[in-house]
Amino acid sequence: MALNFKDLTIKIIKIIFLAFVVAIFLLPVYFTFSVSISSKARINEGAIVPDFYIGHWIEITGGYWKTGLINSVIVSIACMGLALAVSLPAAYVFVRYRFMADKHLFFWFLTNRMAPPVVFSIPYLMIWRGLGLWDTQWGLILAYMVFEVPITIWILASFLAAIPREIDEAALIDGYGYRGLFFKFILPLIRPAIGVAMFFAWLFAWTEMFFASVLTSAVAKTIPAQLLTALGKVGWGVEYGPAAAAGFVTIVPGLTLLYWARRYIVKGFTFGRL
Amino acid sequence: MGQRRLLLALLLPAIIVTAFVGLTPMFALINYALQTPFETRNVFVGVLHFRDMFHDYRFRDAVLRSIAFAGAALGIELPLGLGLAYLLRRPSIINSIITALVALPTLFPPVTIGMMWLLMARRNGPVGMIMNWLLGGTYDPFGNTLHAWGTVILMDVWHWTGLTFLVCLAAVSGIDESYVISARTEGATRWQAFRYTEFPQIVPPLTFVALLRLIDALKIFDEVYILTGGGPGLDTEFITQYIRTVGLEQWIIGYASAMSLVFLFTVLILSWAMLMVLTSGRGLIE
Repeated sequence: MALNFKDLTIKIIKIIFLAFVVAIFLLPVYFTFSVSISSKARINEGAIVPDFYIGHWIEITGGYWKTGLINSVIVSIACMGLALAVSLPAAYVFVRYRFMADKHLFFWFLTNRMAPPVVFSIPYLMIWRGLGLWDTQWGLILAYMVFEVPITIWILASFLAAIPREIDEAALIDGYGYRGLFFKFILPLIRPAIGVAMFFAWLFAWTEMFFASVLTSAVAKTIPAQLLTALGKVGWGVEYGPAAAAGFVTIVPGLTLLYWARRYIVKGFTFGRL
Repeated sequence: MGQRRLLLALLLPAIIVTAFVGLTPMFALINYALQTPFETRNVFVGVLHFRDMFHDYRFRDAVLRSIAFAGAALGIELPLGLGLAYLLRRPSIINSIITALVALPTLFPPVTIGMMWLLMARRNGPVGMIMNWLLGGTYDPFGNTLHAWGTVILMDVWHWTGLTFLVCLAAVSGIDESYVISARTEGATRWQAFRYTEFPQIVPPLTFVALLRLIDALKIFDEVYILTGGGPGLDTEFITQYIRTVGLEQWIIGYASAMSLVFLFTVLILSWAMLMVLTSGRGLIE
């Protein structure tokens, strides 16, 4: 009986602790949404309980918020496509063939992912201005490739490495060319990998702020950079409400795709090795 | 020969793109750091900018702050992640829902996380209210250094515990239970069983995630800039923000580039160590 009581106590403490953890992780999400649907007066009072004012959500469908959202969607999707097109063939070669300095090349590719944005933003700003890429969507997409290519290569390579080499050999012996091998055999096998790689390529472009704030001004500003600008002006004609609404829009993809993505987060952040 | 051409053709797009966005800026940085624009021409200054760093107290302080911040963040996130991994390692629906929730902030834009915590840390926000209640109404993350640091670290813990937790969970799930069971039957306490049978098995993934978090913590900018803006005073100004201020606000490109290079190579060395840990020294591709 005594043992059962002890077990029960441990179980209750565990449940309380986990409920606390869940509350901590949900509170900021709830509160941001609550601020986004509260009037200015209610936000100043705290906005723990919203008063269901939809003005902020209407405001972000126009003006610079709308431009930012459209730019974010275009840039993140273009990054995803370009990164995949560039990385898929390279990842295949890295996994399947040995050539001179292959490991060094692979390492150099991966380390670009770790490079701090602040370090690259200064030369990018200078070079992009000279090339006329500054404040264009193309300039931003190109700058993002510095993270996107390593991310997609390592995710794809980690999945490709799991496909037995014999499949390639058998297909080539059976008379399929490289094109047939790729589209008929490899592609169907790595479809989940492509999904994961696309998700992370898209996510990094969607969430990035530093390059977006340095390499754009008015035309190509994405929503994270727009948030930074807006929060710098709170009190001078900008309020928390629309910023909270726009901020909530930026976390919606994470919220909706979380349950699917949770299995791949480790892969996405850890070079696909764990 | 045909196969070689094909391989090159497959690799070339990635090499060209990475060289353009990865190498060009590196050479540009070296160029800016060694010669600095003076009036209308470039003046070669050699290692002058690098020497300046040793006399710049603001640079030194920013570096020390970054290191202190990384240490504090790691010191909380690693044990917390490991503890949560042990609590939630049995697969069940509730456990996977909680796992997903803890991992949630890793998918959010850092700038949005900064905004969330800015909203919450105001006097009327939930964090502000709770902290004011605990501290008797004196909580002020925008004026008090200690409170600012506490809030910034709490925010980082909220943001990144999900990652350490998921890595620990993957590591803990891979532990061979038979070692623990035999240690326990030999009379080892639960702690001894963990310390001498389980812990050695999870050291490599733990080292890896520690290095990954160290690099990311040194790189932190968005959240802190939104939440405190480096304040009060310069008390939460980390190395990234100092480089940004010098390079992109004061436009002292030469000095900012020199600092950037030092920072970049520190990160590269840490990344190299991290990849070696991850692959136990074998290299990334066999």
